[in-house]
Amino acid sequence: MTSATLRHSVWILRGNPLTAVAATGVLLFVLVAIFGPWIVPYDPVVSNVSEALLPPSAAHIAGTDQLGRDVFSRLVIAARLDLAIAVSAVGISFLIGAVVGSFCGYAGGKLDRAVGRFVDVMMAFPLFVLAMAMVAALGNRIENIVIATAIINLPFYIRFARAEVNVRRNVGWVEAARACGESHFSVVLRFLLPNILPAMAVQISLNLGWAILNAAGLSFIGLGVKPPTPEWGIMVAEGARFISTGRWWLVAFPGLALMMAVLCFNLLGDGMRDILDPRMRT
Amino acid sequence: MLSYILRRIVATLPVMAIVALFVFSLLYIAPGDPAVVIAGDQASPEDVERIRQGLGLDRPFLIQFGSWVWRILHGDLGTSIFTNLPVSTMIGQRLGPTLSLMIITLLLTIVIAVPLGVVAAWKAGSLIDRAIMGFAVFGFSLPVFVVGYVLAYVFALELEWLPVQGYTPLTEGLWPWLQNLILPSIALGCVYIALIARITRATMLEVLQQDYIRTARAKGLGQGGILFIHALKNAAVPIVTVIGIGIALLIGGAVVTESVFAIPGLGRLTIDAILRRDYPVIQGIVLLFSFVYVLVNLMIDVIYTLVDPRIRY
Repeated sequence: MTSATLRHSVWILRGNPLTAVAATGVLLFVLVAIFGPWIVPYDPVVSNVSEALLPPSAAHIAGTDQLGRDVFSRLVIAARLDLAIAVSAVGISFLIGAVVGSFCGYAGGKLDRAVGRFVDVMMAFPLFVLAMAMVAALGNRIENIVIATAIINLPFYIRFARAEVNVRRNVGWVEAARACGESHFSVVLRFLLPNILPAMAVQISLNLGWAILNAAGLSFIGLGVKPPTPEWGIMVAEGARFISTGRWWLVAFPGLALMMAVLCFNLLGDGMRDILDPRMRT
Repeated sequence: MLSYILRRIVATLPVMAIVALFVFSLLYIAPGDPAVVIAGDQASPEDVERIRQGLGLDRPFLIQFGSWVWRILHGDLGTSIFTNLPVSTMIGQRLGPTLSLMIITLLLTIVIAVPLGVVAAWKAGSLIDRAIMGFAVFGFSLPVFVVGYVLAYVFALELEWLPVQGYTPLTEGLWPWLQNLILPSIALGCVYIALIARITRATMLEVLQQDYIRTARAKGLGQGGILFIHALKNAAVPIVTVIGIGIALLIGGAVVTESVFAIPGLGRLTIDAILRRDYPVIQGIVLLFSFVYVLVNLMIDVIYTLVDPRIRY
C-alpha cells in the first residue's frame, strides 16, 4: 500500500466514521481472541452450582449459566474459537480459490470452462445444507466444520478471481511483463494476483462475517463444537432452554457478541469497497 | 426463443446429474467403511453385514450409483435406516410446514424489501436512504437463531401476542396457521430482506438515470407512477434473479428457524437425520433441496425470456 493510498484511506475513514468504528471493532475482536485467557475473570469451564443462573451483576457482568459458569468469561474464550474457525476456513478457500481462479481466468479455454461449470454446479446447492451434509459425512468435529465452511466459500473466490483476472489478462502491463520474458506462471502469481488482492480483501472481510455466522449456525444445531467448549452458537443453543423462565442473559449476550462480530466484518468490507472504488457504492 | 428455453432446460440436466453424483458420494467421502459408518459405534459385525447387503454396498460404485439414480427416477428415495419408513413418505410428512414457512417468508420479504429499496433509491443520499441501508447491513449480520429467540421472548413470552413455538396445519384455519408462522418468517426473512432491499436500491439507482425516466418526469407523471411502474418494471430482472438465488438462504435458514420454533418440518428432519447418521434421509433431503433450488432458478430464467422482450438469445 503506497502512502497515497494510506492517506486516502485515512481521509475516507475520517469521512466515514462507521468504517473506522468497524475496523476498531475487528481489531478488538482479534485482541480478545488472542489475549482472552489472560483477561477473563473466571474459569470458563469449571462449574460452580451454588452460583447457577445468576442475573448480570457486578461480580458477573453477563450473569452465570446453569452450571454457575461466568457467561462473560465464556464469551471471551469463545471469541478465539469462533475467529479461528472463520479465519482458517476463509483462508483455505481464499488461497485455493484465488490461485485456481486466477490461472483459469488467465488461461481460458477448456479447463477454464470446466472449472466454471464446476463452480456453477456448486452454486446449485443450497450451501448451508451442503455444509451440514458434509459435516455429517466427514464426522462431527471442528476440523470438519472448517473444511465444510471452506468448501462452500470456494466457488465465490474462484468466480471472483477468475472474473478479475480475465478482464486484466491482456492489459498493457501484463503484455509488458510477458514481453520482458516473464513466464505465464510468474505473470499470474507476481503480477495479476497482487493486482486483484485489494478487491479480494473486500470479499474476505464480508466472507469472514458470513463464515462466523455459518459456523455458529452449525454448532447451534448440534454439529461441530460440543459442550462444554465455549462457542457463541452453542451457548445460544444451551441458553435457549432457560429463556422461557426469563433467563434472557444466557441467549442475549452470546447473540450480541455474534452479531457485533459479524456486523463489524460486514461494515469493514463495505467500507473497504468504498475506499478502493467509490463508484461501487451501493 | 423456444429453442433458448429448451437449451436452458437441457443445460440444467448435467448440473442435476453432478448434484446427484455428489449427494450419492456423500456416504463415500466419509472416512472408513460406509456400512460401519451407518451402523454406528455399537453395531455388531452381523449388523454391519446386514446393512452392507441391504444397501448393496458390496457392489461396484458406479453400479450402485446407477441403480440409485434409476430408483430415484422412479420416485424411490430409499428407506430410512432409523425408522424403516420410505424416505419419500418421511419427506412428504414434513413438507407442509417448511413450504408454508418459506412461502410466508418470501411474501413478507417481497412486500417489505422491494418498497424499501425503491424508496432508498428515490431518496438516495438522504437520511431515509441511510437508515434503510444501515438496516440492510444490520439485517445481514443477524444470526437467524438469535433474532428468533429475541422475537419469541418479546412477542410470545413477554407480550403474549403470539404462540412461542409449534405449528398448526392450514387445514385447521387460516389464522391458527398464520399465527405460528409470523415470528419464524420474520426471523428467517431478516437476511433475505436486507439482501433484496440492497439489490433493489442498486438496480433502481441505475434505472433512474435512464433517459426514459427523464422523459416520464418531463411528461409530468407522478412520482409513484414513475418509480413503481416505469422504473421498477425495468429493474425487475436483476431483482427477481437475486430473489431466486436468495432462496438458498431461505433453505439454509429454515433448518435453523425450525429448530428455534419447534416446527416439525424438513429442517428438523435434516438435523435429526444428520445426528443419527441416517444417510438415505440426508441424501433424499439434500437432493430435494438442490433440485428445487435449480428448478426455481430455471423457472425464473424462462419466465424472463417470456415477459421481457429485451432478452433474446
